[in-house]
Amino acid sequence: MRPILLSGHERALTQVKYNADGDIIFSVSKDHVVCAWFSHNGERLGTYHGHQGALWTVDVDPTSTLLATGGADNTMRLWEVKTGKLLKTWDFETSIKRVEFSPDGRQLLGVTEKRSGHLGSIVVYEIDPDPQAEQTSEQSLRIVCDESKATVAGFSYLAQMIIAGHEDGTVSQYDGKTGELLYNAPVHEPDMQITDLQWAPDRTYFITASKDKTAKLVVTESLEVLKSYPTDTPLNSAAITPVKDYVILGGGQAAMDVTTTSARQGKFEARFYHKVFMEEIGRVRGHFGPLNYVAVHPQGTGYCSGGEDGYVRVHHFDKPYFDFLYEVEREQANL
Amino acid sequence: QDLAKKNTANREIIEARKRLLEEWLAWRESQIEMLKEMGAEIELNGGKVQQEEDGDVEEVE
Repeated sequence: MRPILLSGHERALTQVKYNADGDIIFSVSKDHVVCAWFSHNGERLGTYHGHQGALWTVDVDPTSTLLATGGADNTMRLWEVKTGKLLKTWDFETSIKRVEFSPDGRQLLGVTEKRSGHLGSIVVYEIDPDPQAEQTSEQSLRIVCDESKATVAGFSYLAQMIIAGHEDGTVSQYDGKTGELLYNAPVHEPDMQITDLQWAPDRTYFITASKDKTAKLVVTESLEVLKSYPTDTPLNSAAITPVKDYVILGGGQAAMDVTTTSARQGKFEARFYHKVFMEEIGRVRGHFGPLNYVAVHPQGTGYCSGGEDGYVRVHHFDKPYFDFLYEVEREQANL
Repeated sequence: QDLAKKNTANREIIEARKRLLEEWLAWRESQIEMLKEMGAEIELNGGKVQQEEDGDVEEVE
């Protein structure tokens, strides 16, 4: 099926997210605007205005009631999805690079940028799921990253742990209640930034993407690397597909970083790998610049990508996608 | 003879995949068991929160 092109942003996309039902896609861009779209036809549902700088990150709570955003204006904001009303603004000294709700939606974390005089940190707030409620200004937890700044972070199952990916290629596991560093593992090449961390549906494992041109599947409990997906381009994003055992990787060399700028040279394709066998099984072309983020429909029926070219491309998977099985998978299914 | 070699190579690939798949499925089962012991309902429901408004959902204490 032909992809749906969402053109509404005026600058590079930084993150795209489906809500839990998969009927809405939220997108954020360097153009300061948050957009909401119907995933089935690409119609724009609404926009959320207020941020005064580039947006880096967005997340929606599990009931699609509250939306969180963060950006270069040094604020993290909470919005009511339905009305677009701004419910809360938290101010910081530096940019917010990542926001994410806990599995139950009752906690929200933010990753703050490092700048001279300010170490990077991970902050956590308790969230009242009622959009009428007054939200707290008090952090329930603050983790300071004094070794290497965190670039991405999220909550494990039951919010028991906070897992963070760092600029130096390592992944940390923190206690979700005390913030104590439990473990730090060199998951990617040293000093190759981790650019994305996305969860499996049950959060017992996750995938990381890195500038070292690989994506890794990691066990939440132990930070053991289970699988590795090597590519030929720096990666910005990686996602795990439910239903089928695939992962989708996105990246590409930015035009300013290469001498040749053709789409072919830049390798601006979404790459599909078999999650268990670690073999590449297909590519999807389309963007005219690096893919900055890939997100998968929570029911596994499609995916969308946000590009440096300013577009969101929404794909609904065809029947062959679902039918494709390795011989050993077919045998296993028939057991 | 080439054909025989090719067949052996193919068989090895298939055997390797089979092993990977079995290991994966066994590990997944152990993790699901762990989530069950912890009562991780949302996670076991694929990350979806069961909403109270859904009349047909019964709360079990």
